[in-house]
Amino acid sequence: MSILQSFKNLVRSRSIHVAYVDVGSCNGCDIEVLACLAPRYDIEQYGIYVHNNPREADILLVIGAYTPGWEDKLQGLWEKIPDPKVAIAIGNCPISGCVFNRPHSYVNPPVSKHIPIAAQVPGCPPRPTEILQAVLSLAPEVFKDYERRKR
Amino acid sequence: MKKTVDVSIPIGPVHPCFKEPARVKCETRGEYVLSAECELGYMKKGIELIMRGRPWQEVMFLAERICGICSVIHNMVFIEALEKISDIPVPERGALLRVIVNELDRMQSHILANFSYCYTIEHETLGMYLLDIRESAMDELERITGARVTCAYIVPGGVRFDLRDEDAVHLRASLDIIERDMKRYIRMFEGGPLIALRSKDVGVLTKESAKEAHAVGPTARASGMPETDMRLHHPTYQKLNFKPVFRTEGDNFARIMVRFEEIMQSIDLIRRCLDMLRPGPIRGGGIPSAGETVYRGEAPRGELSYYLKTDDAGRIVDISVQTPSIMNIEACTHYMLKGVASLADVPSTFISADPCIACTER
Repeated sequence: MSILQSFKNLVRSRSIHVAYVDVGSCNGCDIEVLACLAPRYDIEQYGIYVHNNPREADILLVIGAYTPGWEDKLQGLWEKIPDPKVAIAIGNCPISGCVFNRPHSYVNPPVSKHIPIAAQVPGCPPRPTEILQAVLSLAPEVFKDYERRKR
Repeated sequence: MKKTVDVSIPIGPVHPCFKEPARVKCETRGEYVLSAECELGYMKKGIELIMRGRPWQEVMFLAERICGICSVIHNMVFIEALEKISDIPVPERGALLRVIVNELDRMQSHILANFSYCYTIEHETLGMYLLDIRESAMDELERITGARVTCAYIVPGGVRFDLRDEDAVHLRASLDIIERDMKRYIRMFEGGPLIALRSKDVGVLTKESAKEAHAVGPTARASGMPETDMRLHHPTYQKLNFKPVFRTEGDNFARIMVRFEEIMQSIDLIRRCLDMLRPGPIRGGGIPSAGETVYRGEAPRGELSYYLKTDDAGRIVDISVQTPSIMNIEACTHYMLKGVASLADVPSTFISADPCIACTER
């Protein structure tokens, strides 16, 4: 392993930027992601920063059951995120549609039809600790030795 | 002809300050905002279409998934509309427990709204203090109901679980901590000179324009309209001698302060409920029957009304929900944002009206 690669691994393990996008949920998972910021859970002590800016994000948290309003926009948002990147589905809605996946509704789940999803956190809503654990366990898998594996 | 609009600036749908997707389009001349418009439609799920033709046992869980922040009040208003149709009585202990859970939910929602505002004006310290104290309220909600969000605590004829004595003791201790800390945070917000510069006289909504726009909730009460509080018409709150808080300035500062004062009032209401609790049944009996009604309740963001029509088997034939945020978004974009001196104040003014896009579009 080159010195540059090991330096990149070191830096990336303590600097993960997170953006979240709500594609049609009930808002319950949104506030549980926000609760991760609270000093009790303190997501920033692990070097994870929630900025909600796709252009500097590494991890995209997708919340919600994919409504028609996001038809072309979610794809565009995903392309704006620089590599290496990964998307995590938070809650039951992006996995199965939860209670909204019924006849006559407008939603079109799962979100993995539209963008690649690397991990799923089920729950309606999941607890903040579960969201935190998913981000922490997925980040080293994706970002460690990214350049060497790409070659 | 003189050019009036320089640039039309869209804010959103994904924006660092917005919790949920909404697009605010501002027509500006220099930094001065001439007019604004809110573009919705990113969250429309059609939940009322799903509800029609289903039994009330299913619609009860769908109703609280209209909004995740104020799930308790959606549950409460739907169940009380069903009780009004079918004349189901509620025991006194059950009614008081409903008020306790509802006020805890209002507290956490108001704290979250004030956190969002502090985060938007870049006062991150106060925001984090508020988010920390919110976890105490969420813990109490979880102790009583068994879940943090979407707890389905209120059922026809009463509530699902009783409040144990040790939980009541723990609730009182938590309320003391929240009250002590909240007093300190209110002093921080009131006395901060930079907060006052960002908040006072920004986004003013006068009483006349609040009436015109039919503003509801803390937004209307900050403009001097205490009669908009629907808790005045609720029998349990009337027993508790509820008096709404209000202010007359109508700017961002007043809206946040009304929320802070309502948190203190909620603490007081919960204490009085705990004093009035007597041992007894928490759930009576009754069968939902056919009928039609409109029922209103006070959500953390304002007046929430349900139109409900049921058949003999307890199925929902027709339902229509009017949520408070749609009124406040109209009031915000057409009256508050018009004439905002700087574009930097647009997100903070929008957040100060506490828009909840998930319940606006359903």
